[in-house]
Amino acid sequence: MKIRTFEYFLREAVTSLKRNGLMSIASVSTVALSLLILGIFLVMVLNLNHIASTLETQVQITVYMEDGLSDRDMREIGTRITKMTGVTEVMFVDKEEAMAKFKERLGEQKGLLTALGETNPLPNSFEVKVDKPEYVKTVSQTISQLKGVENAKYGQEVIEQLFALTKMIRIFGLLLIIFLGLAALFIISNTIRITVFARRKEIGIMKYVGATDWFIRFPFMIEGMILGFVGALCAVLILSQTYSTLTDKVYESLAFLPLIPKNPFLTNISMILLIVGTAIGALGSTISLKRFMKV
Amino acid sequence: MIYMSEVSKVYSNGSVALADVTVDIHKGDFVFVVGPSGAGKSTFIKLILREELPTSGRIVVNGKNVIDMQPGEVPYLRRTLGMVFQDYRLLPNKTVYDNVAFAMQVIEAPRREIQKRVHNVLELVGLRHKLRTYPSELSGGEQQRVAIARAIVNNPVIVIADEPTGNLDPETSWEIMKVFDTINKAGTTIIMATHDKTVVDAMRKRVIAIEKGRIARDQVKGVYGYED
Repeated sequence: MKIRTFEYFLREAVTSLKRNGLMSIASVSTVALSLLILGIFLVMVLNLNHIASTLETQVQITVYMEDGLSDRDMREIGTRITKMTGVTEVMFVDKEEAMAKFKERLGEQKGLLTALGETNPLPNSFEVKVDKPEYVKTVSQTISQLKGVENAKYGQEVIEQLFALTKMIRIFGLLLIIFLGLAALFIISNTIRITVFARRKEIGIMKYVGATDWFIRFPFMIEGMILGFVGALCAVLILSQTYSTLTDKVYESLAFLPLIPKNPFLTNISMILLIVGTAIGALGSTISLKRFMKV
Repeated sequence: MIYMSEVSKVYSNGSVALADVTVDIHKGDFVFVVGPSGAGKSTFIKLILREELPTSGRIVVNGKNVIDMQPGEVPYLRRTLGMVFQDYRLLPNKTVYDNVAFAMQVIEAPRREIQKRVHNVLELVGLRHKLRTYPSELSGGEQQRVAIARAIVNNPVIVIADEPTGNLDPETSWEIMKVFDTINKAGTTIIMATHDKTVVDAMRKRVIAIEKGRIARDQVKGVYGYED
């Protein structure tokens, strides 16, 4: 395409955007809203997934021993656990150590424990790490069947709930996004239809003097794409601002919550939204041109 | 230049617009197409422009078989045809210069060539001094001159005019016909559908009369042949 032609297209598109002022604003807002919601869901789903898988990789199995086992029995159990597939680390925590840790975790409230006197209700235990999250379930099952093991626990319930939650949000979000995407598509194609209608005389002349189809269509495509892009840009700005603020706050106060760091995450999300927005714009005008302009 | 052989056009509602039309129009011809309203004149023009396809028959325009033509080729066919309408069809928000230049811009002609050509054709139709004027400030005859300038600016081989003097008084009509005659003398073929008896009878050019979709008459140096 010649540069002069592109200039012409751009000028035509911008003129038409101005002429349709209110409709243009409506289109941009709809796209912005749709994409903002799309962005929010993307960010939420990706973060929940991230949190769930981070927790999963950090999972360790805590193996509680029955009381009154001899040191030899316990060493025996330790060796057997070490030999299991996938197990990378086995650490013995005796009851005194466990109590000390517990006190530490209670912090200033450790006075509560004085009521227990000299008795230590905590069992001896092993902390077992595996190299892949998939092993957690089988390893913990095998361990709990060993003689002398009271039970073996890991945070599976929490993780499963997290994944279930992401799944639900994903389905709900998908429906909402489809709905809003269609709304955006509809309003953009409507805006373009108005433009086509306002310029039907010009289009007619262009056809008679032998302008090619794509030459006639291109300004409208550009107009649609500008609408989509600007809408997406609004969504991106709002989303990035919000997410940056949110992550900063979370890092300050809830540091253990593993949110996805904003770089390059936000850049990727922004790219996706901008591309989707522009594509919606192009698609919207294509629909309109197909229906209202027999070229 | 234009060759139609046994061309028929039946619209989807069943009405027969043209039946068994065979004509041969040569380079440099000046042809009036006359006949009652609804006789098929418009369809005749639409077939040449390939706005419509015939139901049967063969049409060749400027050496191209119009019927087998791909949709993508149609714009290039139209670049060899200039169109003039009864209602001028000028763009009200563009100046005289821009209206004419528009026809060249949309086929991506080089800017310098556009300037040169537009000035030349506006000179030819006698409106060189109204470059910066808007159509609403012009008389009907002047607007039609601008439309003619636009039709010929891309150097078409054939100019097709559909009732070009339909909205003009006799004197202005005559002025417009003189412009067409000049263009014709320069070698451009002209096909003009018209109801203007005075003009047809005075010009004594080839006349093709279409009645009820058939060619009723095809005369060299013919006359209008109908009562007004």
